[in-house]
Amino acid sequence: MNAEILVEMKKIVKNFGKVQALKGVDFHVKKGEVVGLLGDNGAGKSTLIKILVGYHQPDEGEIYFEGKKVKFRSPWDSRSMGIETVYQDLALVNLMPIWRNFFLGRELKKRIMGINFLDVLNMKKISIEYLKTIGIKLRSPNETVAFLSGGERQAVAIARALYFGAKLLILDEPTAALSVGETRKVLELIKETKRRGISVIFITHNIYHVYEVADRLVLLEKGKKIGDFQKQEVTPEKVMEIIAAAAGIGAS
Amino acid sequence: MGWLKLGKDRLRLKELGAIIGTLIFFVLFSIISDKFLTLGNLTSTFTMAAELGIITLGMTFVLISGEIDLSVGSTFAVVPMVMAIMMNHNFPSVLALVIALLVGGGIGFLNGFITIKTGIPSFITTLGTMMFWRGILLAVTGGFPIILEKSSKTLHFLGGELGAGFRYSGLWFVILTIIFWIVLERTSYGNWTFAIGGNVGAARALGIPVEKVKITNFVLMGILAGLAGLTTFGRFKIVDPTLGVGMELEAIAASVMGGTSLVGGYGSILGAFIGAFMIGMVRSGLVLAGAPAYWYRAFIGVILIIASVINARTRKKVAG
Repeated sequence: MNAEILVEMKKIVKNFGKVQALKGVDFHVKKGEVVGLLGDNGAGKSTLIKILVGYHQPDEGEIYFEGKKVKFRSPWDSRSMGIETVYQDLALVNLMPIWRNFFLGRELKKRIMGINFLDVLNMKKISIEYLKTIGIKLRSPNETVAFLSGGERQAVAIARALYFGAKLLILDEPTAALSVGETRKVLELIKETKRRGISVIFITHNIYHVYEVADRLVLLEKGKKIGDFQKQEVTPEKVMEIIAAAAGIGAS
Repeated sequence: MGWLKLGKDRLRLKELGAIIGTLIFFVLFSIISDKFLTLGNLTSTFTMAAELGIITLGMTFVLISGEIDLSVGSTFAVVPMVMAIMMNHNFPSVLALVIALLVGGGIGFLNGFITIKTGIPSFITTLGTMMFWRGILLAVTGGFPIILEKSSKTLHFLGGELGAGFRYSGLWFVILTIIFWIVLERTSYGNWTFAIGGNVGAARALGIPVEKVKITNFVLMGILAGLAGLTTFGRFKIVDPTLGVGMELEAIAASVMGGTSLVGGYGSILGAFIGAFMIGMVRSGLVLAGAPAYWYRAFIGVILIIASVINARTRKKVAG
């Protein structure tokens, strides 16, 4: 059973000054599993994820990745081990074309006279072809990202993570600003990711966005885990109730 | 502007505003003055364009990365002053050149370092250093020009005659334009510069060394502003303490006319080249047309606005 676990966080505590953002949270993701991480704003979802990727350091608790204890000092550390995060607004540079975004920070180069030049032709070719293999058809690699729809942007960011060998893909509210049709496309892409054996953490505050694709749902509220269900065990309505109840009790 | 859509990708030029402006003025001045189209005028136009243009190349990098440098006019004077003083004290000219350029790079580093470490906007940092270095300059020279007391081969290679009226500064400008174009468009470093100005959060999330790139751009800016000042020094053999006053705004104007965005993430080295050339052309063209010198500034102001309007429209077509 344990061999299947890709990442495990144990008893994570994080304080920001006097505010206790996380109060001993256990969280894990199995290989090839899609986990919906749910909670209201301020529940601690993004703090938990930022600790997982090394953006914050936990005050207490341990993190295991592929069975080994890890300490990520920066997002760069976690990325090099195959944890890729797609943030809502921090994924792409709108003024730059698709191919430059696809390879940003990991450019392909060719050496001419001892100098590393960008391998522009290959980057254009690979980016557009890879997008096609996972079912995203775009007109041209030269298209500026600003011209893409919200769904297409998510797709480019997810495709990039897959291309660079992600083992765990973290999506931060990937469907928050999308139309119904666009949301469908992103959900299809998440299914495709799962088919490739890659684990996904889907952060959202809307159960209906994640219910279709999730294998398991983890509920956070006020820095505590208040629920951890296989999808079959709960209905979306039940999840909403649990979150609302937890928020209500905490507030009174 | 329906005709712009012909051949879609090709004609969505970042540099369109500068190209149109240059063509208009070229035709206009050719008609107004029969001396405009002479080799002598074109070469001196190019010399003026080069001295401004070398700064503009650096400014374009700084602007694309989302910063600005107002201190370049002061650097433009401080660096040749260092060289002039050293040479007058009998230091070898090559050593003086290297030290002077290091001072330029140091001024740039300080701008970048203060901006990054304190988090204040570079507009403020460099406004401060602009005044600081100008003040130092005036204090050291007592307000008098420094005159080079000897001839120098090194200086000749910076701003001297190359032949047919062209000067070395023009040659350096062309070489540097090619180098900086390659760096911006065909290396990771250029890619990162664009990304940092376009979405600094995304750049950080993707592991791009934001601080390092920004500071490096400021250092390059300082060296280029210094080099530009040295080419002028090479031409006149004299450093006036008011040399380069207002130069920062001309460099920014040239950059912006060339299609570079003041808010970062977007710009063109080719545009910087054309923008600087246009300003040089307007300056010499107005003189030949017999207009009083102060019209020059008014003219540049109008061109700046027109070119920016055209550029803003093309930018919408390219980048939404």
